[in-house]
Amino acid sequence: MTIPDPIGEHARGITRRTFLGQGSAGVGAAALASMLGLPAASPASGLLGDPVRRSGAHHAPKAKRVIYLFMNGGPTHVDLFDYKPNLARFHGQPIPESYLASKRFSTMTGDPSGKLLLAPMETFRRHGESGAWASALMPHTGAIADELCFLKGMHTEQVNHAPAVTFFLTGSEFPGRPTMGSWLSYGLGSENENLPTFCAMTSVSKGTTCGQIFYEHYWGNGFLPSHHQGVRFRGGGDPVLHLSNPDGVPPEIRRGILDDLARLNHLQLEEHADPEIATRITQYEMAYKMQTSVPELTDLSDEPEHVLALYGPQVRERGTFAYNCLMARRLAERGVRFSQVMHAGWDQHRSLTNELYTQCTDTDQPSAGLVIDLKQRGMLEDTLVVWGGEFGRTPFSQGDFADRPQWGRDHHPYAFTIWMAGGGVKPGITHGASDDLGMDAVEGRVHVHDLQATMLHLLGVDHRRLTHRHQGRDFRLTDVHGKIVPEILL
Amino acid sequence: MTAQRRSAGLAIFSLLLSAAAVAAPPDFDRDIRPILSEHCYACHGPDADSRKVDLRLDLEQGLRSAIDSDASGASLLLHRITSEDANDRMPPPDTGRALAATEIEMVRAWIASGAAWAPHWSLQPIGPRPSVLRPSIEGGDGINVIDDTIRVRLTAEGFPSAPPETPHRLLRRLHLDLTGLPPSPSMLDADLALLADNPHHYERVVDRLLESPAYGERMAWDWMDIARYSDTNGFQLDATRTMWPWRDWVVDAFNSNLPYDEFTVWQLAGDLIPNASETQRLATGFLRNHMINGEGGRIAEENRVEYVFDQLETVGTTWLGLTLNCCRCHDHKFDPVSHREYFAFFDFFNQTPVDGTGGNPQTPPVLVIRSDQERSELERVAAELERIRKVAVAAEANGLPVREIDPAARVAALAAFNTIPLDRTPEQIEAVIAALTEPEGNHATALRAIEPLQRSRRSIEARAPKVMIMADRPERRETRILDGGNYRKPGKAVTADVPASLPPLPDGAPPNRLTLARWLVDPGNPLMARVTVNREWRKFFGRGLVETVEDLGTQGERPSHPHLLDWLAWVFVEDRWDLKSLHRRIVTSATYRQSSDHRGELADADPENRLLGRGPRRRMPAWMIRDHALACSGLLVDTRGGPPVKPYQPAGIWSETTFGTIVYERDQDDDAHRRSLYTFWRRIVGPPVFFDNADRRNCAVRTTMTNTPLHALTTLNDTTFVEAARVMAARIMKDGGDQDADRVDFAFKLAASRIPTDAEREILLTRLDVLRKQYHQRPGAAAELLSVGDAAPAENLDANDQAAFTGICTLILNLDEVLTR
Repeated sequence: MTIPDPIGEHARGITRRTFLGQGSAGVGAAALASMLGLPAASPASGLLGDPVRRSGAHHAPKAKRVIYLFMNGGPTHVDLFDYKPNLARFHGQPIPESYLASKRFSTMTGDPSGKLLLAPMETFRRHGESGAWASALMPHTGAIADELCFLKGMHTEQVNHAPAVTFFLTGSEFPGRPTMGSWLSYGLGSENENLPTFCAMTSVSKGTTCGQIFYEHYWGNGFLPSHHQGVRFRGGGDPVLHLSNPDGVPPEIRRGILDDLARLNHLQLEEHADPEIATRITQYEMAYKMQTSVPELTDLSDEPEHVLALYGPQVRERGTFAYNCLMARRLAERGVRFSQVMHAGWDQHRSLTNELYTQCTDTDQPSAGLVIDLKQRGMLEDTLVVWGGEFGRTPFSQGDFADRPQWGRDHHPYAFTIWMAGGGVKPGITHGASDDLGMDAVEGRVHVHDLQATMLHLLGVDHRRLTHRHQGRDFRLTDVHGKIVPEILL
Repeated sequence: MTAQRRSAGLAIFSLLLSAAAVAAPPDFDRDIRPILSEHCYACHGPDADSRKVDLRLDLEQGLRSAIDSDASGASLLLHRITSEDANDRMPPPDTGRALAATEIEMVRAWIASGAAWAPHWSLQPIGPRPSVLRPSIEGGDGINVIDDTIRVRLTAEGFPSAPPETPHRLLRRLHLDLTGLPPSPSMLDADLALLADNPHHYERVVDRLLESPAYGERMAWDWMDIARYSDTNGFQLDATRTMWPWRDWVVDAFNSNLPYDEFTVWQLAGDLIPNASETQRLATGFLRNHMINGEGGRIAEENRVEYVFDQLETVGTTWLGLTLNCCRCHDHKFDPVSHREYFAFFDFFNQTPVDGTGGNPQTPPVLVIRSDQERSELERVAAELERIRKVAVAAEANGLPVREIDPAARVAALAAFNTIPLDRTPEQIEAVIAALTEPEGNHATALRAIEPLQRSRRSIEARAPKVMIMADRPERRETRILDGGNYRKPGKAVTADVPASLPPLPDGAPPNRLTLARWLVDPGNPLMARVTVNREWRKFFGRGLVETVEDLGTQGERPSHPHLLDWLAWVFVEDRWDLKSLHRRIVTSATYRQSSDHRGELADADPENRLLGRGPRRRMPAWMIRDHALACSGLLVDTRGGPPVKPYQPAGIWSETTFGTIVYERDQDDDAHRRSLYTFWRRIVGPPVFFDNADRRNCAVRTTMTNTPLHALTTLNDTTFVEAARVMAARIMKDGGDQDADRVDFAFKLAASRIPTDAEREILLTRLDVLRKQYHQRPGAAAELLSVGDAAPAENLDANDQAAFTGICTLILNLDEVLTR
């Protein structure tokens, strides 16, 4: 039987015909090995089916895992990290035409001519030895600036949320391609035996008026087999769907039923010899393991108070960003390769003077706390943390300039800021810059595909070689683009 | 990759090549074109923009120019692919597209044998070719072309044919494949008995199932995946639409066996058929099932263009098996379809009044669908209003008979009086009545009846679903080639046409969707029948004769049995596109009816069953697993059609995705137990119980089937399955006899269509005793388990006993054999 192993396949130059139709047979070998009682050294099987393949990379990885803090809605770069004194200086003046050449904005802005520049909401100051700028809105992040690498020359092609988020996560604006976490699950396999390889968590600040939605395709497998899909850890109810036994079925009763289920399935396996039956037996066993491992994962009683304090006051509240950051660390410790922690509400079209503050309060300390916690555990060096949204926000204002409570900024794809930490990225640097108004990325420009290529590189994967044949062509995360950003690599 | 896996992979690779390798010189289409396509077309193929030195190896002429021998007898092509000089070598070493040694040898052998050329197999006419019309297959018995083809190939590879499948397994497979539901135990017993006497009884069972209304429901599921059917728009607001009358039409079309050519024409162009019926117009809802983006800030033209992309690409995948989306931005890299031709195809669909604005889930053009009852109610209301109008007009013919009232009221009455009676507002009617000399008289009574009648009419009209359908604008919208697929970069204008590599449109035919649809179903179209029979084959065998059912182009897989594919396609057309007949042909073949056991060397050599040396055995799709469990428990409600229903779903799925703005309010009782087909499909977060399903965002003809612990958790713990197990437990306790063994046997028969073996029964009976003890020791646990789900608790059954049997039913419903068809 064939197991998808794109990197190995590529390395050997074997034709696609040998591994087409991997489908349901994809997990058979590992499962069969365990059925046959092969020694423990034989390929173990990851929770969602793929064999554990720690050496599947193209080159030695710097990062073993990723925690992607995805700031859904487009955080305002000019109010948070990209300090532009000229915005304060020219506050209330129309943006010079020279900055607008042939730029496309969302229909909410339409024609940007004559829009008035808007000063940053709060003061900025430099932090640490690196002297990185951060707004007073981001005190905790500012305090760890020496751990961070700011990318201020980010730019994208999309001006609306869903296509832009999809572009960041899948390399294409259209739903239907695999997300980065799925690609890594597919390319590198699992590093643990009782949790998913790729987990997604979502949160939103209370009282946010934004209407952005967490589409399932944000952690979707696209055309890859569905066991590469991100497993959503939920903010309420069972952390993983259907994890709890039904009422009236205590674990010992379930255990007995599963034992006999396996017995009966073995009898069928003897008769049919279909390796898929062996796989099914393994998967039911793993379901049971997961029922034990997830409650252990979400039981925070082993976390000392000083660690919880790092993440801020909301850390005990399920469904908050702080809780999800802590959970991401716990998942990372347990070998989960890609945790996608999404927080919505950064879409301040008319709420810079109020909702932006809530948004920062809810995310600043947990993000910084996560980095500190990883560092203290020695995990930061091989854990890549990325913080950022799908685009930035316009340096000019949206809405009624005379009405301060209504101040806002529109979507802005031409320049914005993200930060990275750990996982082989240089700490304490700023790469790239936008122009004096934050309109255009002018130095160290990093396109979304470049960021993706760089992230894969850090994980030991050549973005040009991690491919999957679909509809007659080889697809990859970075399409036909993507250049690694060497300046930020350790 | 372990050595074990590698050898298995190589085994099947050589297996599929061996017939060619041993028997004959290389066949261009089978052996050479795939090599050229893979290694050369990227720079020497159909895409003009990326073409180097104006050499096209995808065309016969270009290829000939590259293989012409020079004086020394060496061909340029061969020289280039074998050269040791890196500057000469093709493909250039830095492209990473180097040919393998075996591929070079293949090219060498092909040139040596005379370098015969042929078009890509799927573009060659299907018939009438002698081999298709006279399917006498050497070594076959001439009874059944499917079986002859499969057997001859198996024999050539040195493998024996499989024995027939055991009757109970076969009947279960047949029932699930044709209706999505298991056979009832009584029907199963009767059929098994009749089969034992007369093997031809099988065909009668087939006919019975083909005539069952459940057949249309089963076939409709796959069509919903193809049509990206959903009950909502998708995107941010994800507004609810009312396309379900179209879904019901699909079920009816399958059940009434509407010929597939009409099924096609109606859905693509029913509105353009002269004197189109309402049904034909309804069918065009197919094209309108695409997502609609109502997100704030979206640019309307960008939306509109994307909707048209989606429509034409869906048509390309569904009826042509071509990946047209590759040419949205540039010429196709591999298939003979250009960027320009893509937009000529686009033009067919670019003529509707849809302009891309807003997120109206009933964006016109729409068809208002009314039930007979609603129609007659509307007629009654209209007649009553007409009667009232006459009464009022007669009474008011000579002016308004007014009594003495205060001047203000009088003015109001006269003002209202100037409005014709049926158009008066409620206030105006009151004003008129206040002035009448007989405020309780006939005239007043008639006026008072107006408002309730009109309210009733509005309510009926609001209730009626509006199905988005197709209609073209009176004036043609000019289509321009969009550079890079970008709506902001229009280039040259094009008019509707089909790709030049396919047969042309008939001379003089208007360039519209109807012409396109009729062209598709013309027997001269080489693709449509092949694409269709291939996809239908996959329904029954889990895999197409061409694995890539979505792509029959040069980058798609080649058919494992090309002759069989062509024969099935040809007969399908000759049969007037009769789907039931095609399904009958497949399920009555010995190939379908053979044992699915993995046997000996063949199991290792052909793990994917490409040679069809065993019967199809694969897990049921998730929707069928649910229907199956409901059927076993007896909970299944077989009401057909109508608005979608909301059965059990874990709490919070919708609200978590939508920040609490959309909350799932599930339906009770019967509506919790309808067939999966009728489950409400929210596009941004589909029903989680249907794992591994197409996401219904884009056309999907092939979904992968996986096997993960999350699926196990679903069928073990989801309320749907827990309730089904407890109700099934009550059913077997009531109908399965008094003895435990008989009850266990009955449960097994309900779910697996057979009696358990002694060993299996022993395991289940032992477990039953343990479960009884466990529930006795845990007071209250049984009552908790038995209250999962809506179904009324069973009366007169011991709770601990029923809980124990529930455990047994959960176990049985999760057996691999039961999850598999």
